[in-house]
Amino acid sequence: MASLPKRIIKETERLITDPVPGITAEPHDDNLRYFEVTVEGPVGSPYENGIFQLELYLPDDYPMEAPKVRFLTKIYHPNIDRLGRICLDVLKTNWSPALQIRTVLLSIQALLASPNPNDPLANDVAEDWIKDEEAAKQTAKKWSKLYATPKQ
Amino acid sequence: MCNTEEHNIETANAEDSEERRESRAQFQELFEQFGRNNPQFNPELIELFQNMLSPLLQSQWHPEDREKGCSQEFIDSLPRVPRNKVPLTDTCSICFERFGNDNYPLLAQLPHCGHIFDLQCISMWLSNQVTCPMCRDVVNGHKVQDLDTSKAELEEDWGMYG
Repeated sequence: MASLPKRIIKETERLITDPVPGITAEPHDDNLRYFEVTVEGPVGSPYENGIFQLELYLPDDYPMEAPKVRFLTKIYHPNIDRLGRICLDVLKTNWSPALQIRTVLLSIQALLASPNPNDPLANDVAEDWIKDEEAAKQTAKKWSKLYATPKQ
Repeated sequence: MCNTEEHNIETANAEDSEERRESRAQFQELFEQFGRNNPQFNPELIELFQNMLSPLLQSQWHPEDREKGCSQEFIDSLPRVPRNKVPLTDTCSICFERFGNDNYPLLAQLPHCGHIFDLQCISMWLSNQVTCPMCRDVVNGHKVQDLDTSKAELEEDWGMYG
C-alpha cells in the first residue's frame, strides 16, 4: 500500500477539528484510508431524521482518483442501488483532485435532498419515482424510519 | 451515466461464445459504416448511442478515444510561476501544501483560466485528464499561443533546476 500522503492526514485532521454539520467521517484504526461515515438525512427530504451509514475508501491514487463511497444503510433512492452504490458525477467522470472528502460527502447529502430519477442507478426505484413521486417519497420515508433510525 | 453492468463486463466478455463475437463484429462494422462517420446522422444521436456501449467495448472500438490526457509536450510548455508572484499562503489545491512552505516551489499556471498548482501535482493530473481541477476548463482546448518558456526560465530561481 502506498504511504499516507500529507493531504490525507490534513483532510482527516480537519474533518475532526472542523466537522461538516450533519456529517461524521472517522478513519479506521488500522486503515487510515478507510472511513466510517454517517450522513444525516436532509431536513425537508423523505430521509429527514434518518442517520445513514456509509463507507468511504481512498484508493492508492487518491486524489488523482475519486474516493470510493457506498451506502451501508439500506436506502430507497433512485440514484442509489441495493448494494449501496451511488450514481453521482463527482464520484465518476466529474471527479477533480480539488474536491475532497468533505465536499464529496456534502454532494451525497445534497443528492438525498434532490433525487434525480432521470439518471437512475436503481431502475425500479426510479420508475416508481417518476410514476408516483408522492408514493415513492412515502416509501423512502418508511425505509428511513425502518433502517436509518439510530438504535437507542 | 452510471452503468451497473460495468462491474460484470470483464467476466462476461471472457465467456463470450464464438457466435456472440461474430455478431458483435458485424454490429461494429455497421456502426462504423452507418453511424460514426456518416454526416447524415445527428452527431448527438451517435454520441448517445456510443455512450450506451459498455466502456470496454467503447475502448476496443475506438482506441483513439482512450488516449485521454494532455501530451507531455503540452505539460512541459505550461508557464512557470516564480515564487514572488504568488501569495505564499495560497495552497496547491491538489496536495493542499502552501506554496510558501517550499523555498523553491516549482509552480505551473494553466493557460486560459490561470489557476496555479505545483508543477508535479498538475502534471500527474493532466497526464490522464484535460480539465482544470478548479474550474473544469478544458486546458488544451484553447488555441495554443506562443508560450515563451525561454523567458520564464530566465527569471530568478530558475538557475536551480538544471
